[in-house]
Parts: sequence; structure tokens; C-alpha cells
Amino acid sequence: MSAQGSTNSSTTATGSSSPTMKRQTSRTGLYAAVAIVVIVVVVLAAGYYAGWFKGSSSSNSGTGCQPPAGGTIKGAGSTLVYPLMFQWESVYGGGTAVNYESVGSGAGITDISQKTVDFGASDAPLEHAQVVGLAGTALTIPESAGAVVPIYNLAGVPTLNFNGTILADIYLGTITNWNNTALQAINPGVTLPSATIQVVVRSDGSGTTFIWTSYLSAESSTWASKYGKGTSVSFPVGTGEPKNAGVAGYVEKTPDTIGYVDLNYALNGPIAFGKVANPAGHYIAATVNNTASALKDANPTLPTGTGDWFNVSVLNAPGAGDYPITSLTYVLVYQDLSGTYGSSYTLTEAETLVDFLYWVVTTGQGYSAQLYYVPLPANILTADEVSIASITYNGAAVPNTCGSSV
Amino acid sequence: MSAITAACAIAILIPLGDIIYQAALLGGPTLSFSVLTAGLPQPCSVPVNGVPCAVGGIGPALQGTGILVGLAALVSVPIGLAAAIFAVEYRGRFLGTAISFTADVLTGVPSVIAGVFIYAYFVIYDPALVFSVITGTLALSVIMIPIVTRTCEEALRTVPHAVREAALALGIPKWRTTLQIVVVSALPAILTGILLSVMRAAGEAAPLLFTAFGSRLGFEGFNNPIEALPLLIYNFAESASNNWIHLAWAAALILIILILITNILSRLTIARMVRRMRGE
Amino acid sequence: MDPTTPSSPIRAPRHRGRGWTDLVFFGLVAFAGLFVIFLIFAIAAILITQSHLAFSTYGFGFLVGTRWNISPTEQVYGAVPFIADTLITSAIALVIGFPLALGSALFLTTQAPRWLRGPLGTVIELLAAIPSVVYGFWGLIFLGPYMRTTVEPALHRYLGWTGGFNGNETGTDVLTAGVILAIMVIPTISAISRETLAAVPVAQKEAALSLGATDWEVTRTAMLPYARSGVFGATILGLGRALGETMAVTMTIGNHDALPTSFFSQGQTISSLIANELTNSAGPLQYSAIIYAGLILLAISIAVNVVARLLLWRVLRVSRGSVE
Repeated sequence: MSAQGSTNSSTTATGSSSPTMKRQTSRTGLYAAVAIVVIVVVVLAAGYYAGWFKGSSSSNSGTGCQPPAGGTIKGAGSTLVYPLMFQWESVYGGGTAVNYESVGSGAGITDISQKTVDFGASDAPLEHAQVVGLAGTALTIPESAGAVVPIYNLAGVPTLNFNGTILADIYLGTITNWNNTALQAINPGVTLPSATIQVVVRSDGSGTTFIWTSYLSAESSTWASKYGKGTSVSFPVGTGEPKNAGVAGYVEKTPDTIGYVDLNYALNGPIAFGKVANPAGHYIAATVNNTASALKDANPTLPTGTGDWFNVSVLNAPGAGDYPITSLTYVLVYQDLSGTYGSSYTLTEAETLVDFLYWVVTTGQGYSAQLYYVPLPANILTADEVSIASITYNGAAVPNTCGSSV
Repeated sequence: MSAITAACAIAILIPLGDIIYQAALLGGPTLSFSVLTAGLPQPCSVPVNGVPCAVGGIGPALQGTGILVGLAALVSVPIGLAAAIFAVEYRGRFLGTAISFTADVLTGVPSVIAGVFIYAYFVIYDPALVFSVITGTLALSVIMIPIVTRTCEEALRTVPHAVREAALALGIPKWRTTLQIVVVSALPAILTGILLSVMRAAGEAAPLLFTAFGSRLGFEGFNNPIEALPLLIYNFAESASNNWIHLAWAAALILIILILITNILSRLTIARMVRRMRGE
Repeated sequence: MDPTTPSSPIRAPRHRGRGWTDLVFFGLVAFAGLFVIFLIFAIAAILITQSHLAFSTYGFGFLVGTRWNISPTEQVYGAVPFIADTLITSAIALVIGFPLALGSALFLTTQAPRWLRGPLGTVIELLAAIPSVVYGFWGLIFLGPYMRTTVEPALHRYLGWTGGFNGNETGTDVLTAGVILAIMVIPTISAISRETLAAVPVAQKEAALSLGATDWEVTRTAMLPYARSGVFGATILGLGRALGETMAVTMTIGNHDALPTSFFSQGQTISSLIANELTNSAGPLQYSAIIYAGLILLAISIAVNVVARLLLWRVLRVSRGSVE
């Protein structure tokens, strides 16, 4: 940022001004730099028109499901579901219709509240104050479900059991050493080293934090009364890293750490993650299957799209093999598109959005399992389609080609 | 004493050397033409269902940086140059000094504040544009304008008054004097200043966090978000996915190379110009 | 032939006023000039209006509030942790950076052989061109672990008695952020110090030498006093840069919203707070409080920058390229 350029003061020093009508004859270096910049710009522009910079695109496989040309919708939010969203946006509509930015559920809620995006994604359902802060009636549409796992970095310890009380104590700061008695007691065959537990938390507004703190609140009344559950919590201890990726990256490279991330990030580290005790008393290592069974066994009663989803929880499902820290993740969209966004919002955008949502809850579910997310059961998907069908533009339902009723 | 001061100089060179070395070591092998043009990959460290991780590329980020910085220069250079002309050529007025002072003050504005300023304004007045090329350009312009103003001002001051007076005495109108004579003779320094402000803007991530926002796609229109090299580095650097980390290093290397080349070239030019002025 | 003859025929000078083109030109450049002035007021205005909610809730008490809690159970906002961390990291940056910068400036102006001065100076200033996010990346991957494994245990062993080097050694803390900032401000301080030292009149140095002074005594008695305000101004300018750094800091400081208890504490500067929590969705009061903190940062940065410029106007007014 500093150019200590000495365009020096020979003129002021001596007063002898050589008439600067005489041109500088050699500015080769300067012209070279300018030329380089110009060439780079031209090449990039040419590349753009040659289609170099489009994301990986493949035609979507939905029958008759083609979004209208020319619409790009933007979404933002949950980092938990980002790997799946990335897959969806790469496949849907030739890969150029949807741009999703992984900025955290908190930011996703803020962005949809401020109407800066077409849809928000959050693992945390809206709380009452946030519903009030919206610019209109919004629909909460669960599009997937995932597992939050405790990742850790302990040399020589490939597998570890945890339970909710111990995890809460670690995050409260009351348990500070890896070889504490409580943890050792539930890990009889494992030699735990004596090392300070380096706690890692999320520094940004996070739905994963909401899921984690909901679980800790359920398992520890101390946690519930002091910190509660939310996308942003003032953690008493811990190094804060942004996004699921940040927590995963930090735990992967730093010894003696513990953190919480979605299963996809743990498996794509790859980073060791612990088994968690479920209400039935078994220690479960999260997989797609036991997350799916948890979702099924929890069998939550879902409100309507515009209802209050704050108390929907699939934590601590009762089944014997269920993974306890499971959660739905939601897309947030406004119901009245033209009314909320105003006249600048085009029908093309509305169609692209509605088509995408339909595609996600139908064909899109087929991509979930391979990325370690749960394909949602039919009853949830049907309710989703009802919600999507209630989206209006200029008072009428939005024309679409992707709904299963089409 | 020479030992101590030499040790200071060496101590400073160590981190610089290490940064460049690590960027070359970790980013160099990843670089290839396809990495420079391909789109961002799915974050991945281990093969999924037997499909190996995509290497991907930083194409959208290169394109985004080029577009954002180019547009920001288009906005900042005329304004900065014109403001500098006003401050120097019409210097008798109080406003001239005020502009100089304000440009100095503006250079002290942290870059993240520039981003927050644009973000907060657009959230109120046009939310659909908050995450777009337009706001990214404006945020970078807020950073570039004061630098361009100051550099142009300094450059214009080096032109001796005799030149202006001679031209005016010949009846050349003030605007032609300024543009065709004064600016032209200060052109190397002005261009250098512009280049340096461009390279500074190319490296800024903070103002783009809430404006350009980032994008998986290339340029999709001025009202849509766009990626940029520093944003990509920030997003990919902290990840645990190996392909993303490699791309982050590749992007860091590209950014370092671009900035270093421009810096060195502009210094050589100024040095040559100074030598010529002294030699005459 | 008069080489200064413009290509168009010489016009008879007008008697009064300027031509309309001159007026248009004047209008355009005046508009640009006014725009630059307007810009700083616009920035301040937006920040002031958006922080109004927090200001009306906390008033100036925000500046002394020591708790920042964004939990749903209790939301309270106070800026002291961030102001403290901003100042502490910048102070660390100056404590480490100033001696190194001054030392290298002295090396370049007095000790180094002539052929080395230009290239070495350029290389040091190249440090300034490396983007903040690259520094943060390097700090995250290399400096942080190095601090954790080597530097911090050593600091704890030898300086632990001072009480400031105790606690969990993570390598991601206020100290590491300060070190990265030091590396970032050194080129600024060094470059301007070099100019200031180079501007010391030869007569001063020769007078000291003729009295039999050693190299160091020449520097101490003849050069440094003369260059004092310039070097001090350079340091303040470096401070201004350190205060506003975002990316390098947020990647190395640990992002913890509380007052630091030691150099090994995780912290949060105002700029990293903005980067992390501006769009947190904990409510409009939180948004407003963060903007309020940003306003404080803006005020501090501008004040520091103005002080630096005032100290340096003598050094900088001798026309040279932009020195930040």
C-alpha cells in the first residue's frame, strides 16, 4: 500500500526547472505494467464470453424440469448444508441459475430479513423476534437434515465416546483436561493423554451452533440457564472460527482440539469424530442411516409453512440406534414475492426460485445420501410442496415446471 | 551497530521470504492453465463414491477481481484525478487545502469500514443490490479514491509553475493547460499511483465481505454477486478440504505475483524517471 | 521555432473571465473535489445514523461497557473488550515493529553499501504490498503453530512471572495477531523513517564525525534528534494501519468476545468483530452496537492518521509519491 516513490524534489531544491515540455523518452517499465494489466483484462473478458468461468455444469436430470432462461437467484446461509447446496446448484438448470453463498445461518436469516437474497438457508428455525424482523410472511421449508458431530484431534486416539453432560462441561470450561475422570470412565480401553482441551467454537452466527447449544441445553441445566440455545452464544471458552469449514480446518491442524461440525465436514477432513450417547444408552457414531432413523423416530409434528417452527426438534430421538444430535435444516422464502420485494422483482426470478425449490424437494433429495445428508421422508416433502405451492407472485401462484403435480 | 541494524533488516526479510516461499511451494504445483480458468470445486478431501475430488480452479475469482478492480478504477481515477487537479490547480482557495486534507483523512479509513458504509447504505435504499458487482465496485472505490487523489496531487505538484504560466501566457485555456500539459508531464507518476491503488484494491477482502459477497459463478450481471481472489482465499483458507486449501494457496501465489510485479515495475519506472530528472 | 507553440493557432488572450469550457472544466473538477469532501461526511453520517439505536440504549456508557453478550439469555453490549484488544494488538505491533523498522532504516541509510540500499529498500517495502488476507493465511498455517509450539512456551518459561504470559498456549491469540500486525506495519514505518533519516543534512553528520564520534554516536547525536518527528510520525502512521487491519487479525486472534487476561488470550478487535458478527441476526440492537463500535474505530483511525500527517507534513510535502 505504500509507494515510497521518490518523485523527488529536484525542482524545488534547485529551482532549475528543465522545461517539462520535453517528453520522457523511456517509460518502458511503466508501459509494460499498463500493457500487462490491459492484456489481462482483455483475456479475462474474452474468457468470460468463451464460457471459461462458469461453474461445473451438467444438465439436470429432472423430467421436464427446466427453469426459465435468464434468471439467477441468490441464496445465502447455512454452512452445514453448503456441500449439498453446492451440488444442487451445480446440477440444477445447467449450473448457472442459483448462486448460494455459505455465510452461516445467522447471516442467512439477516439476509432474508433484509431482502438482499431470494432465499435464506438456516439450520436454526426463526425465533419470534426474528419473525417480527422479517419484511413479510415467510415460509420455513425443511430441505434436508444432517448430523452434528464432535470432532477432535488427539494423537493416538482414533475413536472416543462422549455423552451430553461431558460435552456440556467441556464447553462450560469445567472440564479442562483430556484425561479427566468422567471422560476416561466412559472410554475404558483408551489411554487419554494429559493435555488441556482446546475448545473450538463458531465465531459467526451459526445454525450448527443452534443445534449444538440446543443439545447442550437439553443435557445440562447449567448450560441452559447461563447460555441457552441460539445461533449466537457468548461461549465462555474457546477459539472462535467462522463457518463449519473454519472449525473443521482448525481442529484438523491443531492438536488437542475439540469442535462441532456437520458430518460431511468431518468425513471430508477427514477428521476423527466421537460417538455420542443417545437416550437409549448406546454410543452412536453418526452415519446417514442412523441420522435418518433418528429423524423417523423423532417424528416431529411439523407446523405449516408460515407457522412457528422454533420448537421443532429432532434431538435425542428415542430409537436404540438413533444418533442424538440430529437436525432438520431449512430454506426461508417469502410467500408473497412481488409484494415483499417490490416491482423490481421479475417473474423470471420468481419462476426460477419456485422451480428450484420444487426440484430440491423432489429430484434434489437423490443427491443427499452420497454427501452424508438425510433424504427427507415423504411426509415432510409433501408438506414442503404444499408450502412451495403457496408462494405467490402478483397474487397468483407462480408458474413452474418442476413440481411433482406438474 | 552495523551488526544490530543488519540483524533488524534480516529479521524483517525472514517473514517476507517465508510467505513467498510457502506460497510458491504450496501454490505453485497446483497452478496450471485449467486451474486459472476452471470453476470452484465442491469442497472435498476424500473420494465420494469412488469419484476423486475435483481439482477445480479459481477462474471466477480471477475474473471477479479483474472486473471489480477495473470498474473501481474507472470510477476512482476520474474522480481522484479531478479532485487532485482542483486541489493543485485552483489552490488559492480554501477548498483546495480541504480536499487535500480530506483525502488524507480518507486514507485512514479502515477498509472494512468502507465495506460497512456501502453495505449499510444499500440495505436501506436498495436491498436487492446489496450483494452485487455494483456495491463491490463502490466499496473498492471508497478505498481507491483517496489514494488516487493523493498520488495525483503529489504528481501534479512536481510540475513547475513556469510551465503553467508559460502556457497560460500563450493564451492556452486553463483546461487545456491542465489536461494536455500539466497532467501529461506528470503522467508517469500519475499512472504509477493508479497502478498502486489498483493493486491495493486487488488485495482487499474486508470491503468485499458484505458487498461483492462471493459467487460460485462467473460474472452474471452487475446486480449479482461476484467472487474475488482475496475473498476466495479467505473462504478457502480455513477449510479442512484439501482441494480448497490448494486452491487458496494458488490464489495467494497469483495475487502475490501480480502485486509484486506491478510494484517492482512502478518502482523501476519512478527510479528511472528520478535519475533522468537529476541527470539533466 | 518555439517548441512550446501549441498546435492550434494562438488566440488573443481574453480580457475577462474564462471561456465556457474553462468554466465547465472548473465545474467538473470542483464537483469531484467536493465529492471527496462529501465522502467522508457520508461515511460518518451512515455510521452515526445506523448506530443510533445502540447509542440511545447505551450512550457513552458503551465506551466503558465491559461485557458483550449475544446469548439469547442475556444480550448486553459494551465496547471495552474490542477497544482494548484493538489497542493491545496495535501496541504489540509497535513494540515489536518499531525497533525493527528503525533498525533496518538505519541500516539502509548508514550502514549498507550503496549498491544494496535501493534493492533492499524495495524488498522491504514489498512487504507492504502483500495483501492482509495472505498474511492471515500464512499466520493461520505457519505462524500460529510456530507460536504455539516454540515461542509461547519459551515466553511462558522466561516471562511467566510477569503474569502476562500465562494461560492456554494455542497460538491463536492476541499475541500472534500482534506479531502479524508488526510484520505488516514495519514497511510503513521503515520507509518513512528512511526518508526522514536520508534528509538529515550532511553537515550535521560531518560535524559529529569531525568531533570523533563513532557510527552509533553520529546516529544518536546528529541524526536521530533531527529525524525525531519524522520517525515518530511514521510510527503513528503505522499505528493507524494496524488499528484498521481486519483479515490478518481475524484469522489469527481467536475471535473471543471478552477482555483479554493475558497475551495468550483469544481476543476480538473492532474490525474482526465487524467481520464476524455484523450479519449475526441477533437483532437490530446487535447490528447497531457493531456499527457503533465501527464508528469508534473510524474516529480513532482518523484521529491517529491526522496526527501522523501533521507530524509528517514537512517530510511528505517535499513532493513524492503517495506514502501511506
